[in-house]
Amino acid sequence: MRVALTAEGTYPHQFGGVSVWCDQLVRALPRYEFTVVALVATGTEPVQWELPPQVSQLVTVPLWGPPSAAGRKPRGRGVPLVVRDLVDVLADEDIDGRFGIVLRDLYEYARTRNLSATLASEATARLLADTWRERWPLIATRRGASPALTRPTLHDAVTAMRLVEHALRPLSHPAVEVDVAHAVTNGLGVLPALAAKWRYQVPVIVTEHGVYMREQYLHLRNPPFGWPVKDLYLRFLAQICAVGYREAEVITPGNVYNKRWEEELGADGDRVRTVYNGVNPEDFPPLTDEPEVPTISWVGRIDPIKDLETLLRAFALVMAELPQARLRIFGAPPRGREAYMERCKALAADLKIDGNATFEGRIPKIRDAYAAGHVVALCSISEGFPYSLIEAMTCGRPCVATDVGGVSEALPPEAGIVVPPRAPEEMAAACLKLLRDPELRARLGTTARKRALEHFTVDRAVSAFDEIYNLIGTGWRLMSAEEAQLPADGDELPADGDQPVEDTLTTGHSGSS
Amino acid sequence: MMSSDLIAETSSGEASGPLAELADRFRGICRSAVDPLEVASALEFDGVSDRAARVEYDVPDVFALARQLYAQVPRDPAPAAPEPDPWRARPLSHGLLYAIPAVCFPAAGTLLVGPHVLRVLVIALLSGWGLSQGLAAVGYQRLGMSGPGPARRVLRAGLASCLVVVAIIMLAALVTLHTRLPVIAFGAGEAVYMLGACVLLVIGAERWLPAALAPGVTAATVFLIMGKPHSLEHQTFVGLAATPVLAIVLAVVCTIGAGPREGRLVNASELAGAVPAIALGVIAAGLLSFPGVAGVTGHGGGNVGSLVASVPLALSMGVAEWSLLWYRRGTRHALTLTDDSRWFHRRANLLLLGALTQYVFGALMLVGAALGVALLSRQVRLDSTLLLSVTGYLLLGAAMFLVMLLATMRVRLVPLAVAAAALAVEIVLRHHGLSVQIALPTLLLAVVLMYAFRRLGSAVLHA
Repeated sequence: MRVALTAEGTYPHQFGGVSVWCDQLVRALPRYEFTVVALVATGTEPVQWELPPQVSQLVTVPLWGPPSAAGRKPRGRGVPLVVRDLVDVLADEDIDGRFGIVLRDLYEYARTRNLSATLASEATARLLADTWRERWPLIATRRGASPALTRPTLHDAVTAMRLVEHALRPLSHPAVEVDVAHAVTNGLGVLPALAAKWRYQVPVIVTEHGVYMREQYLHLRNPPFGWPVKDLYLRFLAQICAVGYREAEVITPGNVYNKRWEEELGADGDRVRTVYNGVNPEDFPPLTDEPEVPTISWVGRIDPIKDLETLLRAFALVMAELPQARLRIFGAPPRGREAYMERCKALAADLKIDGNATFEGRIPKIRDAYAAGHVVALCSISEGFPYSLIEAMTCGRPCVATDVGGVSEALPPEAGIVVPPRAPEEMAAACLKLLRDPELRARLGTTARKRALEHFTVDRAVSAFDEIYNLIGTGWRLMSAEEAQLPADGDELPADGDQPVEDTLTTGHSGSS
Repeated sequence: MMSSDLIAETSSGEASGPLAELADRFRGICRSAVDPLEVASALEFDGVSDRAARVEYDVPDVFALARQLYAQVPRDPAPAAPEPDPWRARPLSHGLLYAIPAVCFPAAGTLLVGPHVLRVLVIALLSGWGLSQGLAAVGYQRLGMSGPGPARRVLRAGLASCLVVVAIIMLAALVTLHTRLPVIAFGAGEAVYMLGACVLLVIGAERWLPAALAPGVTAATVFLIMGKPHSLEHQTFVGLAATPVLAIVLAVVCTIGAGPREGRLVNASELAGAVPAIALGVIAAGLLSFPGVAGVTGHGGGNVGSLVASVPLALSMGVAEWSLLWYRRGTRHALTLTDDSRWFHRRANLLLLGALTQYVFGALMLVGAALGVALLSRQVRLDSTLLLSVTGYLLLGAAMFLVMLLATMRVRLVPLAVAAAALAVEIVLRHHGLSVQIALPTLLLAVVLMYAFRRLGSAVLHA
């Protein structure tokens, strides 16, 4: 069976959680023939991952740089009807759900014409400027803004159409001919999968590790362009995501937490099947020894989103009770973001904990970082379903983690302690409780490992996708929870691990092959 | 507790309570949010979970909380942070970098003897200008797409490739024209200097160019001031040779630290983008060298007017850059003032006229000054031929300014075709001498100006 794996800015050109996940998936499923469709920035990016033999083809789709010259370019000053429709839905709410039809029409248009040239043309920018001029009073009022103070300019119209042109470039690439199209992100990454569906009538799977739109909202909080452009572009991306969810046979978020967002963005809850990330247990055998002095360890990318300040403040409170305690921080800041680490070091010095709280940089064997502490802490203010947590759990280390993203799904009270984010006192209390109680540590660590082995292994994740590919690739469809008379996905993951999530994958034949 | 209870009014009439406090904290976000989901993402990013929404604000989840905040705070988005100005003015003295090398030509007079000297110099000019334009196009594109590291890497590799091409061309000239080796070496040095200078300009390291120019220009100036003494010839030639060598060394040194090679060095579309730039460089060099090669009669024999005007015209590149950046800043600003494309078209045309006028005025001043010096020092005699040839060269300079301006906006094909046609017609009708050298630049200027009026009113070219 041929599977297209479509990704944006991750596998196989970048390192990171999503790339690790993709690599695990393709390596563990040698009986499938994978085509990796990678959306990249310019096309000059190097391939960072060695592709296994089951990846028969790598298709790169650059979103920036010069557009493709393929296809007939527009002539004259007219704007094709399909682009008129696009501008029409872009300039306002997609009240009647027309965007999906327009997107498909754009794909059909791009098969023979040069869509990029049409979207980047003067005529299209003028059309948007004229449409905005006519409708902006209504649009702005609907958003609760002053039409006069937020009026879009010609610069806004050109910028907006330029962003849309770049975003829609994947539609101009030939659709890949496969049996299943699996988008490992929504948003722009789903476009090649949609093209495959529209061209070859293949089923689409959408997997989200983070939530694409949530990340876009955060990314464009202070955009380098005007508010009308931000308004149009975010709505445009949200509409693409809604089409991605609608057209997907099955949506497989990496945790239940993501499902809330997906439903808010238009996903049908019945098509959602959570498949948790997993780690290879062989890489994380149980830890038997503990350090000599009470130690908290932290592993990750040193970045503001990880909120190390809260951890340092919590550790200052821990030290007040246990002066010999240590905090060992493993990881490095991303390139260009070194200032944050310096800020954290300065805070440690201010709190007078810099002798006991140490920044130890990257560590070759990540398991050693978990071994370095009695307790593993995670203090992020935003997460999806963090690998570091399930790795520490697999090692049998008790964890204290903030209640963000899918953390509370992974870590029920029997397996660890969840505290509110940005709450140093609660985090300190939880750490002290564990540092002072070896029995509690042992109990939580044992339960955490049992739970991780039961739910968060690569094998479980891979076998879930193996099953999904097999089913929907051969014309079966996934039955809704109601049809299957099973509890709907999204109910709390059983703490005792009696019912693996992927056991709720229930099928019915679609009647077509 | 109902969520409405969370907003109590104080005696002063101001809302208070947890929700009001939260609204206050997230006011900036809510003001510029495009929908409640943007507020929800910000809430979650700040650590507000569904549990916190239920416990602290008595709403079912973060989304409900976000909807409340979005409804409560009116939209009043802050203006976008000003983008760094990509069209910041470069100093007018930049023109010196283009003009100063001209002093090397008269100093190398005794080197430049033998058969086909002019042909070799023109071949070197065409290849040096064409290749450096192509190299700059690839370098600027990579700089814009991938940043300075990858740009330095592609420029260094491109420089090596271009040097090989120059070597092959000059070797071919040596074999086919049977020219003397010093002439070939001088021509190669001219092309090599252009390539090194091009790399330094693209990566913004032009401050090193004076260092490269120093030995050649100093040696040439001293040599000329001292009346070209035979005893100093050798040292002067060494100084002249040092300039292109230094330019290359500096270009190589300044492109160190590009980091490890990642991905393909150069892709097909980048190479394709360089082709029109190379063609434009060759044609521009051809047009600008034509009057000097053809002479006022069209049968060779020199063109004093074009020689007098060539150095100030090279100097005027500083004015040209300044005017071009002024124009780009102006049109970009105009785009932000209107939503009416017709108004913008009119404003862009006015700005174009303004930029052209500035350039012509600057070039006129420089050419006038050069002519004045030449007349006062009795190097030339004032007559109608001189005035007409200077005028023709000035018109050509104005036309090439517009061609360059169009090229920087990626409008290359039509100006390229028109300039190529002009060069072809000039070559075919060269026997008509000065009249063709005035008529063609005039026609070229008129056609390119009309085209620029029509084409550069397009808003998408200016954002």
